[in-house]
Amino acid sequence: MALVQQIQLQREAGARDRARRLTGSPTLRVAGRRLLAAIPVLIGVTFLTFSVMSLLPNDSAQAILGLNASPSAVAALNHTLGLDQPFWQRYWHWLVNVLHGNFGTTLQGASVNHELAIHVPITMELLLYALVVSVALSVIVAALAARRPNGIADRIIAAISMLGLSTAPYAFAFLLIIVLAVKLTWFPVLSGAVAGPGSFFKNLTLPACAIGFGLFSVYTRLLRADMVDQMQREDYIVTAKAKGVPPWRVLLRHALRNSLFTLITVIGLNLGGLVGAAAIIENIFSVQGIGNDLITGISNHDVPLIEGITLVFALVTVFGNLLADLAYAVLDPRIRYGSSNS
Amino acid sequence: MLATPAAPPLPSLVSARSLRSQRIGRAVRLWVPAGILIALLGICFVLPLIITLPSSTAGDILYNNEAPFSPGHLLGTNVQGVDIFSQLVSGGQVTFEISLSVTAIGIVIGGLLGVTAGYFGGWVDAVISRVLDILLAFPALVLALVIAEGLGPSELHLIWALAVFAIPAQGRVARGATLTLRGLSYMTAARLSGTRPWRIIARHVLPNIMPGIVTFSLLGIGIVVIIEGAIDFLGYGIQLPQASWGSMITQGQNIESVQPEYVLIPSIALLITVVALNMLGDALRERWGVQ
Repeated sequence: MALVQQIQLQREAGARDRARRLTGSPTLRVAGRRLLAAIPVLIGVTFLTFSVMSLLPNDSAQAILGLNASPSAVAALNHTLGLDQPFWQRYWHWLVNVLHGNFGTTLQGASVNHELAIHVPITMELLLYALVVSVALSVIVAALAARRPNGIADRIIAAISMLGLSTAPYAFAFLLIIVLAVKLTWFPVLSGAVAGPGSFFKNLTLPACAIGFGLFSVYTRLLRADMVDQMQREDYIVTAKAKGVPPWRVLLRHALRNSLFTLITVIGLNLGGLVGAAAIIENIFSVQGIGNDLITGISNHDVPLIEGITLVFALVTVFGNLLADLAYAVLDPRIRYGSSNS
Repeated sequence: MLATPAAPPLPSLVSARSLRSQRIGRAVRLWVPAGILIALLGICFVLPLIITLPSSTAGDILYNNEAPFSPGHLLGTNVQGVDIFSQLVSGGQVTFEISLSVTAIGIVIGGLLGVTAGYFGGWVDAVISRVLDILLAFPALVLALVIAEGLGPSELHLIWALAVFAIPAQGRVARGATLTLRGLSYMTAARLSGTRPWRIIARHVLPNIMPGIVTFSLLGIGIVVIIEGAIDFLGYGIQLPQASWGSMITQGQNIESVQPEYVLIPSIALLITVVALNMLGDALRERWGVQ
C-alpha cells in the first residue's frame, strides 16, 4: 500500500517536473506573463482615450459639412458616422474595427491607417537617429568619465550631462535653430521631406539633436554611476585587476558590459515618453511625423485620428516595457523571477 | 530603494584635512541648489509683496523693445512693451504652483496606491499595478491638450492633467521601495507582534521609503516644470495675457533671429530652476544613500 502510494507520488512528481521543464524557461514564462498583462493595459488605454475624447465637443459632422449645413443634414451625417450611438456601442464598434486592422477615417475622409502608414515611419526614423547617436556617444563619454572618477574629464562630463538633463527640449531646439540654422545656415530652419540619406541628415539632424541631448545626458549619468559603482565594489573587478588585466580592458570588458544591461532596460522604459517628446520637437521643426499629426488632430477635434495615434503611443510604451523586462531576463542571469514579485 | 551606503574608508587612512574638505563639498552640493531654489521662490512669491513691479499683463507700447537693464525695466520690455522681469515673476508663480501641486497630488495618491500594492501583494498588487500601467501608457500630452481643447485651458485643468502622469510614476517608485522592505526582519517582527497593517505602513514603511520618494519627487518637479512649459508653449496651457515661461518662449520665437534674448531669458529661468532641482535631488540622494 505504502509502496503504491510512493510510486504514485513519484509519478506525480515526475509529471510536475516534465511540465516544469516545458514551461520552465524563465524567459519564456516572463514573456508569456508580460504579454498577457499587456492585453488589459492596452484595452484600458483605448477605453481611457475614448472616455477622454468625449470631453471634446461632438462637432465632427458640423466640421465636415461646414457652418451653413442644416441641422437635419448634420443629424443625418451623425447617424451615418455612428456618432449618435451611446458611448458603449461606439467604443465596442471602434474596438472591433481596430482588431480587424481598421482605424476608421479622419475628418478629411482619409483613412487613419493611411495617415499612420505615412507618419509613423518618419517619427521612427527621427527617434532611431536620436537614440542611436545618443547611445553611442554616451557609451564613449561615460567610459571616459568612469576611468577616473572625480577627475577633470569626469567633472566636465558631469556638468554637461546635468545641463542636458535640465534643459527643456523646446528651448534647446531654439538655441540650435538660432546658432546652426539662422546664423551658420548649416541646416534648414524647417525640415523638409526626407528623400535619400543626404536629405535625411540635412532635415533630421537638428530635431534629433534636440531630442538626443536629454537622452544622451540621462544615459551618460546612468552608465557612469553604474560603472563607478561596479569598479568600487564588485569582486570580478578585483579579480580582473589582480590578474593583471589593463585598466581600460577592465572598464570596457567587465564593467561596461554589465552596465549595458541597465542601459537597455532604461531605454525600453523610456520609449513611451520619447514619442511624447517627439511631438513637440516635430511641431517646432515641422517634421511631418505622428506627433505633429497628433497636435493638428487635437486642434481639429479629429477624434479617430487622435485615437489611432494614442494607440500607437500606448503600443510603443507597453512593448518598450516588455522588451526591457525580457532584455533583463535574457541578458542578466542573476535576475531570478520569483512568483511573488511580478 | 534604501541601500546601505558604501562603507567609509578607515579613519586612519584618511587625513583630517581631506575629511573636512569632503564634508564641506557635501554641504556645498546640498546648500547651493537649495539656496537657489529658496531665492527663486522668494523672488516669485515674496518680492511682489514688498516692491511694486510693473504690470505683467499690460505694457506701454511707447516703451517696447527696451534693452535689458534700461531704467524701470530690469530685463527690458517685449514687443508689446510688457516688462519682462514682471512676466518672469508671474510665470514663475504659475510654474511653481502647478509643479508643486502636481507633485503633491502624485505623492499622496500615487504613494498610497504604490504602498498598498507593495505591502499587500497578491491580487491587490495585480489590480493596482495594471491601473498604474494603463495611466503610464496613456500619453500625458494628449490628455492635457484634449482637456484644454474640450474644457478650456486653465491652471486647474493643467494640474489634473499632469497629475494623471505623476500618479503612476510615484506609485511605481513607492511600490518598488515597499517591496524591498517586505522581507526585512523588523517588518516580520512588527507583523508577529500583532500590529495592524495600516499601523505598520504608517510607522515602519512610510518613514523608510520617504528618502526615495523625496529624491524622486525633486526630479519629478523638474520634469513637470519642463512639460508644463511645453504645453504652454503649444498654446494649450496658461492663456495670454497671463504670462508663463513656456508662452514667453513661443512669443519670443517670432523674433528670435533678431533678438534672441526674448527666447533666452525664459529658457535660462527654466534651466536654472530645473538644474537646482536636479542638483538638490542628487545631493539628498548622496546624503541618504538612496539608489
